[in-house]
Amino acid sequence: MSASRRRDPGRHSPTIAIKDDGGRFALEGALDIRTLREAANSLNAWQRERKSRTLDLRNLSSLDTPGALLLCDLQQHGIELTGIRNEHKSLLDLICGLERKPLPPQPAVSRGRQLVIELGKGADNAWRDALEIITFVGRAASAICQAFSHLHSLRLPSISRHIDETGIHALPIVGLMAIMISVVIGYQGVAQLRPYGGEDFTINLVAVSMLREMGVLITAIMVAGRSGSAFTAEIGVMKSREEVDALNVMGMEPMELLVVPRLIALVITLPLLTLFADVMGLLGGAMISESLLHVAPLQYLERVRQAVDDSDLFVGLIKAPIFAFIIGVIGCMHGLRVRGSAESVGQQTTRAVVKSIFLVIVLDALFSILFDKLGL
Amino acid sequence: MNARAKPKHEPILSARGIVNRFGKQDVHNKLNLDVSPGEILGIAGGSGSGKSVLLKTLAGLHRPNAGEVVLNGKKIETIGHAERASLIGVLFQQGALFSSLSVAQNVMLPLREHTDLPANEQARIAAMKLELAGLAAESGLKFPSQLSGGMVKRAALARALALDPRILFLDEPTSDLDPLIASGVDALITQLNQSLGITVVIVTHDVTTLFGICSRIAVLVDKKITVDTLDHLMHSQHPWIREFLHGPRAQGAMTARKWSHGNR
Repeated sequence: MSASRRRDPGRHSPTIAIKDDGGRFALEGALDIRTLREAANSLNAWQRERKSRTLDLRNLSSLDTPGALLLCDLQQHGIELTGIRNEHKSLLDLICGLERKPLPPQPAVSRGRQLVIELGKGADNAWRDALEIITFVGRAASAICQAFSHLHSLRLPSISRHIDETGIHALPIVGLMAIMISVVIGYQGVAQLRPYGGEDFTINLVAVSMLREMGVLITAIMVAGRSGSAFTAEIGVMKSREEVDALNVMGMEPMELLVVPRLIALVITLPLLTLFADVMGLLGGAMISESLLHVAPLQYLERVRQAVDDSDLFVGLIKAPIFAFIIGVIGCMHGLRVRGSAESVGQQTTRAVVKSIFLVIVLDALFSILFDKLGL
Repeated sequence: MNARAKPKHEPILSARGIVNRFGKQDVHNKLNLDVSPGEILGIAGGSGSGKSVLLKTLAGLHRPNAGEVVLNGKKIETIGHAERASLIGVLFQQGALFSSLSVAQNVMLPLREHTDLPANEQARIAAMKLELAGLAAESGLKFPSQLSGGMVKRAALARALALDPRILFLDEPTSDLDPLIASGVDALITQLNQSLGITVVIVTHDVTTLFGICSRIAVLVDKKITVDTLDHLMHSQHPWIREFLHGPRAQGAMTARKWSHGNR
């Protein structure tokens, strides 16, 4: 057994040396990955002196593949290896018999060129993405219409399960976030308005901003992070394990089975969650006015009623189903885009969450402009 | 264990009284196994007989409920990281190549961590290991996702060989491969065993591999292990072993073995 005593790691580090025995040069010690550097240096120096063209290996106690690689290189440079031990022979034969081609260099692309390439790819991707979203929105809309026109293809158990998962399970976190946000706005409002003696208007600030913007925005962002990502991951795993193909083969439409119930459930739950967030936000406002402004809860309610009108609530709630549709579409679309590996599921999930939050905020900005023009 | 199959050398790896339990179910019950240096040991057994768990236990990746594994004279859990890396190489079933690194970088990673060799020297060694594993130097630049099944196994083998380990553990090296490529991998394992003197432990279902290249076969049945050479195992009276070695697939592999041995 050649290799059984090859290494004795841990006890003492092995050594390697070139011994000069009256003009006969011999390599002594262990030539392995730990002594390789030393050996390469001394052999280089020895070669440069050009004293001899033969190297004796009789006293080489051990040899591994990197060591053999070094010896084979020497041989290629015209050094004759003599006295090779039997146990090293097959290893040397194997390594010297290889082609020993170096790794090809990484194809070099200049920075500027790279930048242009990346930009081009980015633009192309964005364009394809936009097209795909539009197509998917169309397909989803048509599938939903189909489902409502043939009520038997509406999967009620599936819808109710998704309402439970995306809605009821999200109540605690959405409520907590709404209270926190109204506390943050309340503190800032009091701090900024007090110098002008208008700290009482903090109540207006909290109530209006919660109902019009913050309630729906916070809810949509939470739902995108919670449920949008779950849609992508669930559908993505099904896709990567060929479950989606199995559905197709058995004559069931993945769009109808996987996408439509999720979209319908989300469009139902997000407005309800928004309403819940609005209520919790106003509750947070009540806590703030009690503790910072010493306004009693009943008084606070009265002030809120004066501060807001119906359109504030309406403006907030009307956005919710649209955000829900976008979040659901992006989540399902990226789920169906998964190809092959588990790695792809992770990538698509990240993209889905980033994209849906981005689109929600962009749409919110557009809505602000629209409602301003409409005078709402 | 059978006296006839007693290893001639001090075992390089030995497992004593291994008990592995999941919940209430015993997978291994006081199992003993010795691996002698330089041999190719095949571990066979039905689905769910705990082959992969045994491999993980032997490689020190899974701590058994009872019993101990001694590698190169030391208890495996007392061996340090760097030393263990230079003793053991594992080829995982799916390759387990790091997907964010190129093939060459995958092979260079253990070299970078455990040696102080300069980068160009690491690259040369990596190229050599890739060639040893039967991959062209050009495939070193590819990423794992761009490789076919057979190439993944070869690249993972090159990485497992990176530090010249004394023992190579192979988990189903020929599964998911077409028969031609599987034969190539078998030949490669034999060559590495003979030229580098590496001890090989293979877990496999593939009777062709078991019959063709393994010097001894360990069969996992009834939570225990029976180790012997193929010729002796052929006469075993155990029903599962009989079924396994005399079944239709095994007969085909046996014919192939006779052919290849006859042609030598």
